[in-house]
Amino acid sequence: MGFLDNSGDIILDAVLTDTGRMRLARGDGSFKITKFALGDDEIDYANYNKNHTSGSAYYDLEVLQTPILEAFTNNASSMHSKLLSISRTDLLYLPVLKLNEQQTITQRVSGPGNFGYNTFLVTVDENTEKPDNGVIATAEQGVILGSGTELDPATANFVRVDQGLNTVATVIPPTRALQGDLVENFYLVEIDNRLGKITSKTSPSEVAPLSFIDDDNMATYQVSNISGGGFVVSNNNTDVVGESGAEDQVITGPRGTRLDFRIQASDDLFSSDYYFDLFGSTGTKNSVAVKFIDTFIRITGVSTGYRIDIPIRFLKKD
Amino acid sequence: MAATFKRFFDSDVARTVSKLHEAIPITGTIVSGTYTESGDGTNIKNYAHGMFQSVYDYPYLSSSANHIFDTTVGYSANSGLSGSASVQNTKKINIYNQMAQILVEKDVNGNIQEFDQDGNISAGGTKMQECVFISLARLLTKDEVKKQSFSLQVLTGGANSAPSDIETVSDYNALTEYKVNSPAGEYGLLYTSSTGITTSSAVGHLYYQAGIAVLTASVFDGEFGPMNVSIGTASINQVLTGGTIESSSTGLRNRWYNLDFNNTTELNSSIYFCRANSNEFNYSSNPTYLSGSKLVVKNDFDDTPVSYVTSIGLYNDKNELLAVAKLSEALKKDPTNELTLRVRLDY
Repeated sequence: MGFLDNSGDIILDAVLTDTGRMRLARGDGSFKITKFALGDDEIDYANYNKNHTSGSAYYDLEVLQTPILEAFTNNASSMHSKLLSISRTDLLYLPVLKLNEQQTITQRVSGPGNFGYNTFLVTVDENTEKPDNGVIATAEQGVILGSGTELDPATANFVRVDQGLNTVATVIPPTRALQGDLVENFYLVEIDNRLGKITSKTSPSEVAPLSFIDDDNMATYQVSNISGGGFVVSNNNTDVVGESGAEDQVITGPRGTRLDFRIQASDDLFSSDYYFDLFGSTGTKNSVAVKFIDTFIRITGVSTGYRIDIPIRFLKKD
Repeated sequence: MAATFKRFFDSDVARTVSKLHEAIPITGTIVSGTYTESGDGTNIKNYAHGMFQSVYDYPYLSSSANHIFDTTVGYSANSGLSGSASVQNTKKINIYNQMAQILVEKDVNGNIQEFDQDGNISAGGTKMQECVFISLARLLTKDEVKKQSFSLQVLTGGANSAPSDIETVSDYNALTEYKVNSPAGEYGLLYTSSTGITTSSAVGHLYYQAGIAVLTASVFDGEFGPMNVSIGTASINQVLTGGTIESSSTGLRNRWYNLDFNNTTELNSSIYFCRANSNEFNYSSNPTYLSGSKLVVKNDFDDTPVSYVTSIGLYNDKNELLAVAKLSEALKKDPTNELTLRVRLDY
C-alpha cells in the first residue's frame, strides 16, 4: 500500500493589500483583522454542467480546471464575489440587485448616440445646471443635479436599486413575501471620493454615513434601513410587473428592500477643472462645450454579497 | 440570516516566530581586486574624513551597487601605539572609543571600557587595544548573523605583493557559548582554531545583532598593508602607526581571502484558521451563479448547493480588505464537507 502524497503545503500565504499596508503604517489600530470572507472571482458557474450524462462526478469537471490568478495587492481588485452562508440547503433562488429605471426620474440617459448614453449625468456646478446655459434641459432624463442646490424630492432625478428575487411571476410571484434571511438591509456604496459623494434622495445636504476611504480614494458608504436619510426602505409592493400598481417595479418576484440616493459632486470638481483635465475628456452636449469624467458607483449587499456597478458621468460646462 | 463574512474567535488566530537563514559569501576577489578605477570604476569608497572605507559589490557609482560592509581600524588611548607621532592618532582613538562605547558595556561611572579578549570584563584579563573592525551592512546581516556560521579566512603570511598562509577565524562553539554582556546584543568569541580553545585564545568578537566583527590586530602577525605600498617594515603595528585608517583598511582587504556567514531574518507570523462549517459558504454571490435569480448549480430544491473557493479575504471591522490569500486550485464547498484554511500573514 502506497503512502499518501503529503507534499502540498496546506498553509496559504496571504499578501497585504495596499489598504492593509496603509492601515498598518497609520498605526492607529485600524489594522485589526477581525473576520474573513471566501471569494470565487475566477469561477464561471456556467461551466457547471448539472446535466452531465456521466453523472454528478463530472458536473464540475471544467470548474475545477479553472486556473487561479495570484493575489492582487490592490484591495479593489479582489474579492468581487463572495461565498454566502445560508444555513438552509433547499434554496433554489437567491435575491439580486437591479437598477430600477421604471420611472423617468430614475432612468439613465437613453437613446444610442446621445451624450452620456446609458450613464447618469451628474452636473458639478450651477453654471452647468442652469437651463439658460444650454447644457441641460429642465428635468432632463438621466441628469442628476449635483451642485448641492436644494431640490424637490418629488421631481428630482435619483438612482434607485431594487432587491429581491427576479423570478418569473408564474414561478414565485411578488405576492409572496421574500424570506427574512434573504432581505438585504445593509448596503455598501462605493464612489471615487475625489469626484463625489452619496447623498440622500430627500435632501442633498444629508450625506450618507461614510465608513472609510481607502488608499486609492475610493469612499465606502454604509447605509441601512436604520441609518436614517431614507436610503434603504422596504419594498412592500406586491403587484405583478406588467399589471396595474407595479409600474415602478423592476423585480418580478418577491421584493426585499430598495436603495435610493443622489450624487453630489465634490468640492474639487465644483471649484476646479484639475481632475477633468487630468483624467477626463471634452465634448459637446447640445452644442455646448463640456468637460466630463466617466466613473462608476458600486453597490454591494452586505448580507447577500450581490453587487452591481452603475455608470456615472460627471459633467461640467467648459 | 445570510452572511458573507465570518468573524474570527480568539482561538482562530495563532502567532508564531520563525527564523529564515541565507548563506552569504564575500570572496576576496570582490573585496580586493575585481573592479578597478581603470575598468568599470572601483567598488571601494573612501571618504574625505578618512574614518572608514566602504566596500560595495559593484562600482559604487552605479545604481546597481549594494553596500556590503565597512572596514576601519583603531586603538585605545592606552595602547602602546598611541602617540602624537602616529598618523591620524586622534581619529584611530576616536574610532576605537566609538566602537567600544557601542559594543562594550560601560563601567559604573559611565566610562568607556576596552574590548576584553575573553568577554569577562569583571575578571580583568587581556584587553584588545588595537583592533580591526568589519561592520557588515544590514542588507547582508538582516536581523542578525547566525551563530556559529561566521568564517573569515585571512592571509596572514607572505609579502604584501603575494599574501599567503590562510588562517580561518570563526566563532567556534558559539551556539552554546555566546556572551550577553554587551549593550549591542549577543556576541561570540572568534578563534583561529576549533581545537584547543581557551579563554586566552580568542582573537576577536563577533556581535551578532550589530553585525560587527572586531579582530585584534595581532592576528595579523606577518607582513600587513596595501599591495606594493611600503609602510615601515610592513607589520600591522607599523601600518597602524605610520599609515592612515584608509591604508590600514586597504591592507585588510589585501589580506582578505573569503568570508562566509549565514544571516537571520525573524518572521513574525499570524496564522488565521478560516473555518467553513458544513452549513456555511455553500452559496455564492457570483453573478454567474444565478440565472434569473435561479441557482445554476441546482435543478431542484433537494439538490445540495455547491460553491468553489479560490481566495480568502481578511477584513477589519469596517469591511476593508486588508490581506488576500489565494488557493492554487478551486476548492469545492458543499454541505457535506467542512474546510479549515490556514492563512499565514508574515510581518
